[in-house]
Amino acid sequence: MLSAFRSALATPDLRRKILFTLMIVVVYRIGATLPAPGVSYPRVQQCISGVQNEGIYALLNLFSGGAMLQLAVFALGIMPYITASIIVQLLTVVIPKFEALKKEGQSGQSKLTQYTRYLTIALAVLQATGIVAMADRGQLFSDCKDSAGNPMDIIPGDSWVTLAMIVIVMTAGTSVIMWLGELITERGIGNGMSLLIFLNIAARIPAEGGAILQNQGGLVFAVVCVFGLLIIASVVFVEQGQRRIPVQYAKRMIGRRMYGGTSTYLPLKVNQAGVIPVIFASSLLYLPDLISRLAGQTGWFAEFVSKYVTDQSSWVHILGYFALIIFFTYFYITITFDVNERADEMKKFGGFIPGIRPGRPTAEYLKFVLGRITLPGSIYLGIIAILPNFFLSVTQQGQNQNFPFGGTAVLIMVGVGLETVRQIETQLVQRRYEGFLR
Amino acid sequence: MQLFLQILLVITSLLLVLLVLLHRAKGGGLSSLFGGGMQSSLSGSSVAEKNLDRLTLFVGAVWTICIVGLGLLMKVA
Repeated sequence: MLSAFRSALATPDLRRKILFTLMIVVVYRIGATLPAPGVSYPRVQQCISGVQNEGIYALLNLFSGGAMLQLAVFALGIMPYITASIIVQLLTVVIPKFEALKKEGQSGQSKLTQYTRYLTIALAVLQATGIVAMADRGQLFSDCKDSAGNPMDIIPGDSWVTLAMIVIVMTAGTSVIMWLGELITERGIGNGMSLLIFLNIAARIPAEGGAILQNQGGLVFAVVCVFGLLIIASVVFVEQGQRRIPVQYAKRMIGRRMYGGTSTYLPLKVNQAGVIPVIFASSLLYLPDLISRLAGQTGWFAEFVSKYVTDQSSWVHILGYFALIIFFTYFYITITFDVNERADEMKKFGGFIPGIRPGRPTAEYLKFVLGRITLPGSIYLGIIAILPNFFLSVTQQGQNQNFPFGGTAVLIMVGVGLETVRQIETQLVQRRYEGFLR
Repeated sequence: MQLFLQILLVITSLLLVLLVLLHRAKGGGLSSLFGGGMQSSLSGSSVAEKNLDRLTLFVGAVWTICIVGLGLLMKVA
């Protein structure tokens, strides 16, 4: 393990990439703590200390790494980008033009990405307006009162100019985050966007762990740690699991050279969709909350939302989350793993699965196997994600989906971590060094 | 001073959004989150892209300075 670290840093190419990624991480974290202009930093800090562990803010804070409540420059985090990509992905099923673009390959894909980016900015403006309006009206910290008993004035000079400026700055911050993510994807290690999500979650671990240690005592803390490690181990175990479908390639003579004749396998992972379904499901669940906040937290809709959707110990929330995860797992796999395309490709290069004819029967077989293997995969994703909702109510922790040792957070962290390590691995293999994973 | 910084901040913010959107869309967004995320890293960046990078960095730096400056002004006030 240590030697792998050394060889990773000894490779100049890889070292540059890792350092570049670290640099962007530093920039990102600075932006996440830098308060937006016009926001009174000491007052916000005072309010946060009282409010941090409340359930309503859990999801809001999960994807922004605490930056949201601080009204930082990067307050929105990558949430707008995630929402935008979900919308665009869903639209590929609905709008024929998008579907055509998606089938077009690389160029169409980049066009879709461009649409996603425009949509991100639009969503960022919306969300920033929402947050700033909430903060200005004192709804963001509704329990936080100053000495006179009035709601704390977080944005002191609240002329509309100041408010508009904060919205513009937050929007620009979101676009900067988008750019940072793309820079990591392009020149660093791993996928930028998921790495930034990873960061946001990881940034909260020390604070959350400290809170548990302080409030519950050492024993609970130890139990929670052991639980966390167990969950991480099981996640890694399932994440690495795959079914290998044997593929035999026919021998071919091209000129005087002999090609093919090898037998390989097509790996189908148990959890083919990775962490995407979890990210999608949790950000979809967060949308109604946001809408009800923008609408002003009154009426039957807001009541319904706060009673069933936001409350993480309610059965509606748990079941809805579970169902959404299973749906998105299947949805994402059908989008990204096109069985017909795979079968065609195999046929083109003279490969076949032993015992199954090439072409359509192969596609059907792949679909069958994929459908079967995805079912336990999706159920596993769902169970891991809703686990903290069960066992944390035992420890009186109540609603804490973003609790860093269980559920969504662990899934995302382990998934992204594995993905990133795998990328370092491929880079190392290029240089024939021994990697991290054996 | 504060007014100047605020105006500069708004201008640079808008510029920043514009510049970032001008960048070539890389990767497949979230779709490259798993599986085959490597292919995009092979294409080198063009000269235009490099200049755009520099310009974005510069505007970003001015933007950051404005934010920090405004924050300091507010603290003093």
